[in-house]
Amino acid sequence: MSMFVIGYYAALIAASCIAAYFQNRQAFMLLFSLTLVSFVLGIVGGVPALQGVTIFAGILALAAGTSYAFREFLIQVSRPAIAKELRTAPLTAAFGMFVIFTYAIAGIFAPWIAPFGQSEVIASAFEPPNEDMLLGADQLGRDMFSRIVYGARNSVGLALLATILAFVIGALAGLYSAVKGGWLDQLSGRVADVIMSVPSLIFALLMLSIFGTYLWVIVVVVAIIYSPRVFRLTRAVAGNVVVMDYVEAAKLRGEGDWHLIRKEILPNSTAPLIAEFGLEFCFVFLLIAGLSFLGLGIQPPTADWGSMVRENATLISFGDITPLIPAAAIALLTVAVNFVVDWMLFRSSGLKEQ
Amino acid sequence: MRDILGLVAKRLGLGLVTLLVVSVLIFFAVELLPGDIAQAVLGQMATEETLARLREELGLGRPAIVRYFDWLAGAVTGDFGTSLIDGEPVTAKITDRFVSTLFLAAYAAVIAVPFAITLGIIVALLRNSIFDRVANVVTLTSISSPEFFLGYILILYLAVKWSMFPAIASISSGMTLLELLERTFLPALTLVLVVTAHMMRMTRAAIINLLASPYIEMARLKGAPPWKVIVKHALPNAWAPIINVVALNLAYLVTGVVLVEVVFVYPGIGQLLVDAVAKRDFPIVQACCLIFAATFILLNLAADVGAILTNPRLRHPK
Amino acid sequence: MNKPQSKSVLLEIRGLKIDGYSDETWVPIIKGVDLTLRRGEVLGLIGESGAGKSTIGAAAMGYARDGTRISEGSIEFDGMELTTATSAEKRALRGSRIAYVAQSAAASFNPAHKLIDQHTEAPLHYRIKKRMEAQEDAMELYERLRLPSPREIGFRYPHQVSGGQLQRAMTAMAMSCRPDLIIFDEPTTALDVTTQIEVLAAVRDIVDQFNTAAIYITHDLAVVAQMADAIKVLLKGEEVEHAPTEKMLDAPEEEYTKSLWAVRSFKRPQKSRPEDDSKPVISVQGVDAAYTGGAKVLDDVSFDIYPGMTVAVVGESGSGKSTAARVITGLLPPMKGEVLCRGAALPPRYQDRTREQLRQAQMIYQMADTALNPKSRISDIIGRPAQFYSGLKGPMLKQRVDELLDLIELDPANFYNRFPPELSGGQKQRIGIARALAAEPEFIICDEVTSALDQLVAEGILKLLDRLQRELGLAYMFITHDLATVRSIADEVVVMQNGRVVEQGAKEEMFTPPHHPYTDLLLSSVPEMDPNWLTTLLEERGVDNIGEAARV
Repeated sequence: MSMFVIGYYAALIAASCIAAYFQNRQAFMLLFSLTLVSFVLGIVGGVPALQGVTIFAGILALAAGTSYAFREFLIQVSRPAIAKELRTAPLTAAFGMFVIFTYAIAGIFAPWIAPFGQSEVIASAFEPPNEDMLLGADQLGRDMFSRIVYGARNSVGLALLATILAFVIGALAGLYSAVKGGWLDQLSGRVADVIMSVPSLIFALLMLSIFGTYLWVIVVVVAIIYSPRVFRLTRAVAGNVVVMDYVEAAKLRGEGDWHLIRKEILPNSTAPLIAEFGLEFCFVFLLIAGLSFLGLGIQPPTADWGSMVRENATLISFGDITPLIPAAAIALLTVAVNFVVDWMLFRSSGLKEQ
Repeated sequence: MRDILGLVAKRLGLGLVTLLVVSVLIFFAVELLPGDIAQAVLGQMATEETLARLREELGLGRPAIVRYFDWLAGAVTGDFGTSLIDGEPVTAKITDRFVSTLFLAAYAAVIAVPFAITLGIIVALLRNSIFDRVANVVTLTSISSPEFFLGYILILYLAVKWSMFPAIASISSGMTLLELLERTFLPALTLVLVVTAHMMRMTRAAIINLLASPYIEMARLKGAPPWKVIVKHALPNAWAPIINVVALNLAYLVTGVVLVEVVFVYPGIGQLLVDAVAKRDFPIVQACCLIFAATFILLNLAADVGAILTNPRLRHPK
Repeated sequence: MNKPQSKSVLLEIRGLKIDGYSDETWVPIIKGVDLTLRRGEVLGLIGESGAGKSTIGAAAMGYARDGTRISEGSIEFDGMELTTATSAEKRALRGSRIAYVAQSAAASFNPAHKLIDQHTEAPLHYRIKKRMEAQEDAMELYERLRLPSPREIGFRYPHQVSGGQLQRAMTAMAMSCRPDLIIFDEPTTALDVTTQIEVLAAVRDIVDQFNTAAIYITHDLAVVAQMADAIKVLLKGEEVEHAPTEKMLDAPEEEYTKSLWAVRSFKRPQKSRPEDDSKPVISVQGVDAAYTGGAKVLDDVSFDIYPGMTVAVVGESGSGKSTAARVITGLLPPMKGEVLCRGAALPPRYQDRTREQLRQAQMIYQMADTALNPKSRISDIIGRPAQFYSGLKGPMLKQRVDELLDLIELDPANFYNRFPPELSGGQKQRIGIARALAAEPEFIICDEVTSALDQLVAEGILKLLDRLQRELGLAYMFITHDLATVRSIADEVVVMQNGRVVEQGAKEEMFTPPHHPYTDLLLSSVPEMDPNWLTTLLEERGVDNIGEAARV
């Protein structure tokens, strides 16, 4: 038994005892069940498994620390009203905001951050990492790290564009349907039903096979595929607002539709719509990543995370994690957005549901 | 009872209409092609002569509406025309692969559905505990990851590093069920991971939603123990949302399966579709799209019918 | 009704404090309440919304709702301390020894099970009775509670039974284990007056017959006077006064209690129609109306509203009184008949009316919460109609808004820039009135404007409306189900039932017999402060006839 294993168990048991002493039941349950699981893990996987757990816990602690500090930072720099909201953010949401912030910086300042251009060939294919190339080279000898940084601009930018378009189409149609009612409402509802009754990836594949894999085609097709989701939500949210007496009062006053939408309905629907924007972004982002992975999204040599996974996929059979890096970049951003959305949904639904 | 039958019939009719509209969409989308199919297949370099011959072959001279009904009639009887690339009948190409895809999806569903619903109920019972929060983070992470990310992680660890399962899901007709299950374990597991997370979250939400109802409080105030509150009072009312959750996720499997098939080089219909899209082999693309859409619509239909059948208010009309 | 006070103590609450979770902190909502309840005694808990009545009721079962916690004090039920009891121990009391009757029976019965299965759940769970015995017992209780066809009704599902019947079935369910204590949490609040009677009578009978102790929670003084031996008045989580019912009604001691009792005293003289030949502001003539695809909701409805007068439209839910208002405003075009304004026909759809026509008729809504856009400033809410109709801008507009705020007795400097969620219920309702006034209308529809407010606040609103009518010469159409309100401010009354006008005329005539049978039923069903009112009424109507009398 090595010093590491002894220290490992000693730390866990001590932490469990401290938690028990301070009557923190939940922390105790978590720590002690981890201890018990570790016994099994230790026997099955030996020291490496325990080391894995330790590294994982370390990363988790680091992420928690960063999130905590980032939340404090945000609270300090925000206006009081927003700061009050931020104080309720769980660490996961703070982590999400931190990741989104980092991605935004990487995307906006890509040319200054990346040491090489995105299509610049600087080494031989699949060269392992060295001090010039943080993550090594890809299948054509381009710097992986630079391409990841540029990917933040290309992949995320494209997804953002498609999301915004989907949102504009869906939200406008939803708001107008809610206000107008009647045949317009019926018609847009049916159209949304039809579009949603085709699986999104399949729909996208069909359209791309017809119109070819141009960027504008991707943006428009993806926006059309996901706008019914926005439409339905907006229609439902606005539908709840439209029946309010203050909207009836405005209607009876003789106000026009646009005034109703802008002044009465929209201000009272923003919270769920913002959350939906986040969710929608995740869907769009994953769909475009999937298309790129299938070779039907952003075309080379533009750096794009989905295509990078595909291009480097063969390395996986040699136990190399390179293709996982762009995939992880996709997952991390989606997780981050989902964490923030989760918190926002919790806030807007109130504490009732829980 | 007549009410229920009426509602179910109405829903079935609606499903059929939707399917018809979708078939129109799929067929006429190809008509939107700049130029026409012949041009798209042969490319810019084709001579007028070869173009004309292909147009003749495909019957492009006839009006689109006639060709649509031909195509639809064929599709209904299981004839999807011939491939533009190698001239083989589409149906023959699709059948085996469709069965393989269904096998993979069913494999994943059989594991995921009971697992996810049980976990969802447990997490709903333990809501706001630390386990609930951990489960929340884990499931959120899982649904946020692209299928190929999960797939490659599983390959890296379970196939390459620890050599427990094959990385490539190659199957042939002579295999026993056990062999099949072993070969397709990794793709199935990838699907299970994604779908379970989705289903678990939705089951939890559906149950917690119900727990806020006054009749649940009443049950508690009648002295019912927690398990009885869930099993006897919440669950009978939760079937509709749960059936919905299951159907939605099975439908999700249909889409997810495409990416997973590519990752694991599994000979399913998804792979075929992706290849056909790359080669612009439209009859195959149309056939695959129609099959996927039909499955999707069918599952949604099943969910709605299930919700109607389990609604006590509809089952026992006034 | 008054039982000897020497019986043994069943429930004893001492220094109870309960916290509620809001805005990320725990704030006290019950601030030290004592309560003693003896066997067979009925205690009335009354107070306005937010007084904490319901929370105390739940605490009496050792139950804290989600988002609340019992922070201090003791709750002793028959020698057992509930604050320290394990959840299993507390659970063993619930349903067997302490039972609960909820406000909304429709929502509190599980839609998936038959009534009788829900009824027998507790007796079977506690192994008090076998299934067949429990079912027999349920049928017997249904009979005692005078439910129609008591042997069959239990085998129906909740949605197959009417609201008043469900409420009685729930009382029967509470009785299933013959508990020592029943908590009634506003059991008749959601019901119409005529239905309320049957439930009240049933509840009182069954409590008397089995000599069960009860806590009866309500905001309606007249109701509690019928039910309780003693009354406890609560205000913002604290006890104001506690006394036996008779004493409480005759000689309340505290100022707050006295003011509650005095609320129903506001009354103003009745006005009569103008002598000259001036036309009615609004005249509804032979209107039939229905919602899309539904049955007729209005059937040949006609009434006139003259300038400067208040016409009260009375009826129970489903009588069509709100639909009549929708027809007048043009939200629901009538199938037949028309609405005249000063003798000229109004276009049936509001979309087709001119601004001038829209300006004439304004509305004040029941729920002040949903009547004001929570994301608009007060200045915008009131200013918009003035800007829209009169084209006021800049300083002129601000001056007009200030004027209007003065008119509704709110300080402009204080309210100009605030948002509705920051206001109290009464203040919101006043803003709603100001918005209607901003259009300078001649006619205002008041849709149940006081029914969501506490009594003291409601009285303030009624006084304000009355003053405005005198100063501005407004005509009101006052939609309400509350006859006390009608008594205090109406000039004329229109009684509606099932979409028809049953009777109409000047108020004084309407309140003096002879009445139309339905008007009579409505009038006599309104609980009065006299503790013997229910007993007398039941004797008059004949005991067996209460339930059915309501259905005439």
